[in-house]
Amino acid sequence: MRLPISQSFIERNAIVLLIATLITVAIGGLVEVVPLFTIQTTVVKVPGIRPYSPLELLGRQIYLREGCYLCHSQQIRNLRDEVARYGHPSIAAESMYDHPFQWGSKRIGPDLARVGGKYSNAWMYQHLKAPRSVVPESIMPDFAFLAKHQLHTKELIAAMKTNIDLGVPYTKADLQSAMADLQAQAFANADHAGLLSRYPNAMIVDAKGGEVTQLDALVAYLQILGRMVNFANPAVERALQAQGGK
Amino acid sequence: MKAGDLIIGILMACLGLIGLYAAAGALDLEMSIFGWSLAGFAVVFVFGLIKHHYDDVDAAHAAARHAAAGGAGHE
Amino acid sequence: MSDLALDTASARFVTAAPARHVDYNEDIVRKFLIASMFWGVVAFVVGCYIAAELAWPQLNIAPWFNFGRLRPVHTSAAIFAFGGSALFGTSIYVVQRTCRAPLWGGKALANFIFWGYQFFIVMAALSYVLGFSKSREYAEPPWHLDLFLVVIWVAYLVAYVATLLKREEPHIYVANWFYLAFIVTVAMLWIVNNLTIPVSIYGSRSYSLFAGAQDAMVQWWYGHNAVGFFLTAGFLGMMYYFIPKAADRPVYSYRLSVVHFWALIFIYIWAGPHHLEYTSLPDWTQTLGMVFSIMLWMPSWGGMINGLMTLSGAWEKLRTDPGLRFSVTAVGFYGMSTFEGPLMSIRSVNALAHYTDWVIGHVHSGTLGWVAFITFGAFYYLVPVLWKRTGLYSTRLAAWHYWISTLGIVLYITSMWVAGIMEGLMWRAYDAMGFLQYSFIQTVVAVHPLYVVRLLGGIFFLIGMLIMCFNLIMTVKSPSTARGNVPGAALAAGA
Repeated sequence: MRLPISQSFIERNAIVLLIATLITVAIGGLVEVVPLFTIQTTVVKVPGIRPYSPLELLGRQIYLREGCYLCHSQQIRNLRDEVARYGHPSIAAESMYDHPFQWGSKRIGPDLARVGGKYSNAWMYQHLKAPRSVVPESIMPDFAFLAKHQLHTKELIAAMKTNIDLGVPYTKADLQSAMADLQAQAFANADHAGLLSRYPNAMIVDAKGGEVTQLDALVAYLQILGRMVNFANPAVERALQAQGGK
Repeated sequence: MKAGDLIIGILMACLGLIGLYAAAGALDLEMSIFGWSLAGFAVVFVFGLIKHHYDDVDAAHAAARHAAAGGAGHE
Repeated sequence: MSDLALDTASARFVTAAPARHVDYNEDIVRKFLIASMFWGVVAFVVGCYIAAELAWPQLNIAPWFNFGRLRPVHTSAAIFAFGGSALFGTSIYVVQRTCRAPLWGGKALANFIFWGYQFFIVMAALSYVLGFSKSREYAEPPWHLDLFLVVIWVAYLVAYVATLLKREEPHIYVANWFYLAFIVTVAMLWIVNNLTIPVSIYGSRSYSLFAGAQDAMVQWWYGHNAVGFFLTAGFLGMMYYFIPKAADRPVYSYRLSVVHFWALIFIYIWAGPHHLEYTSLPDWTQTLGMVFSIMLWMPSWGGMINGLMTLSGAWEKLRTDPGLRFSVTAVGFYGMSTFEGPLMSIRSVNALAHYTDWVIGHVHSGTLGWVAFITFGAFYYLVPVLWKRTGLYSTRLAAWHYWISTLGIVLYITSMWVAGIMEGLMWRAYDAMGFLQYSFIQTVVAVHPLYVVRLLGGIFFLIGMLIMCFNLIMTVKSPSTARGNVPGAALAAGA
């Protein structure tokens, strides 16, 4: 076989070698990555998916900061035992507003894709603060320090705006009421009507002493995981059929 | 002074300035540490460039004197 | 030894006419070697610590030394600091020798690359511990450090290619193809995977450009090829230079090198989606990833055969040269991991193996067995050459290093195989009534003893590393290895 360009020529010319290498390594990525942005069925929006509420968004930031993804996946594979253990297989739409994705790669602890609502707020708080007080064999680190640190809300609006730039559909009204929504979700005795109209299914957490802590935000985030989509809803089923179950 | 030293020195000085800007405007601890460290790194690095330059100049002078005094070329 | 030149067209060594004196920049190679050894110790210490945290969670010291913050310190220190410094150092050594040209750009550029890279490493580690990780696996540094690394990387690429351009040899030697592929491809991967929008240019926080399924694909396109090009192609460059050099033999087959190179770099890049099987990534992508992962077995073993067969006729050197023993064992581990990898990418195997400690075992058979061992081989060869010593301080200590490290790897990978397969089987076990037989926490309890064995394996490996550091420091300092003004004199005598 005669190639249009010989090895002997390539290895005598550094620049040709450089360019030939770059072309060779670019092909695989182009074929695998680019179509994911152009094929419509890669991510099909299903009813229920919404952007994170302000408190959830900041709680997610804590999740990223503490490296939770290193021990917990957020991706239920389409396998019988995983569905039995964790619930409906994860669908692409559920992480469509996740910048970055948090599917994880290792389960030192269990999957968290549908952990929301599985445990009470009280359990969540206690478990995060002192895991071994509720699960004696647990090897999770203590996150009691999160309860001592106030949540930084300074960056909230800028963070939401950055998400808008990336295609997350926060509205003007969402931005205007962001701080109020954050407060409303943190306190059980606040007025939650506005919050729940903008962010259905948001879990109200239990901030104590008038101050929102990092732990409150993290619990709010964990409690929404997997609770946005109601798989009993026939409209969800139809949307999933359209793309072959993902 | 060699052209390479000059270009790297200027590049490093620019990075140092960026570090100072980052430190001045820093909104969080990490950015502040990064900014100050980058500026400090740039100062030390550029100082090193200058020092090496004069070390080389001195060494050349010493070698010239040594040669003039009729010394052999071996260490 | 320095009179040996590489006839690159046939990838053979020939004795050249007395080479004219070339003023190689060896200072920078020495610096990178020292840095690599230092970071190797750091990486292994942190690795042992986080392994201990998994066995005894009380060791987590919140917030800075929690597992979630230290784990990226371990991976970055091992891959980028230890492995990266070794790659920078050896590639700069190899490109100068095989081109018979000094490193382009002079001392200032070389020092900029060295100190800039070290600065990046320290800042990155600090950012994880302080809680500013970008939380993309193996690409955790915040956005401004990503950009800073791009500056360093471009400087490295320019210096490397410019040195190739002013070479005295007509052909570019095979080791340089692999090093070049490593530099170019890692640049491409790093830039695309780290595309993020910062919340403010004065803040460390950023949100990745991609989300969800697309982001997962981009991340594993990067993540798998960090393995493929950082931990494989770069270190294959090391193999193609140091094994022929230490064995004093030509590379077994030039044609095989050519096939190995192009097939490896073409196929590797496709294999990323095998990290995402059965997930919500589209099936066609998963299937492509699996098929190419299996195909990857061929070029990988082609390379292994090329490396091993280079020793044909020189196998007896393994008895006397501890550095070569490391290099050859590394190639053996390379063959084993590159067989295990395709196996694990097969869908039905992946269903069992994914998310378990088997993956951790697989990674470490590659990183400890292949990456670290090929690096140790290069160190044992390079230190006497670079510091102009007659040979190693002690071949006995090197032999101790070899056996302790090998034992460490065996403990590590067997414990993780058992742990991983146990987890996989327990997670999917059903009882007679058709319910899941085990709760998740039961699997955590079951793997505890294996986590302890893994820690033991890690400690053995760390001890081996410390022995090497002592041995190499003594090689430089001890009067017993000093030699007169006879550059290039009998290295092999002491080794």
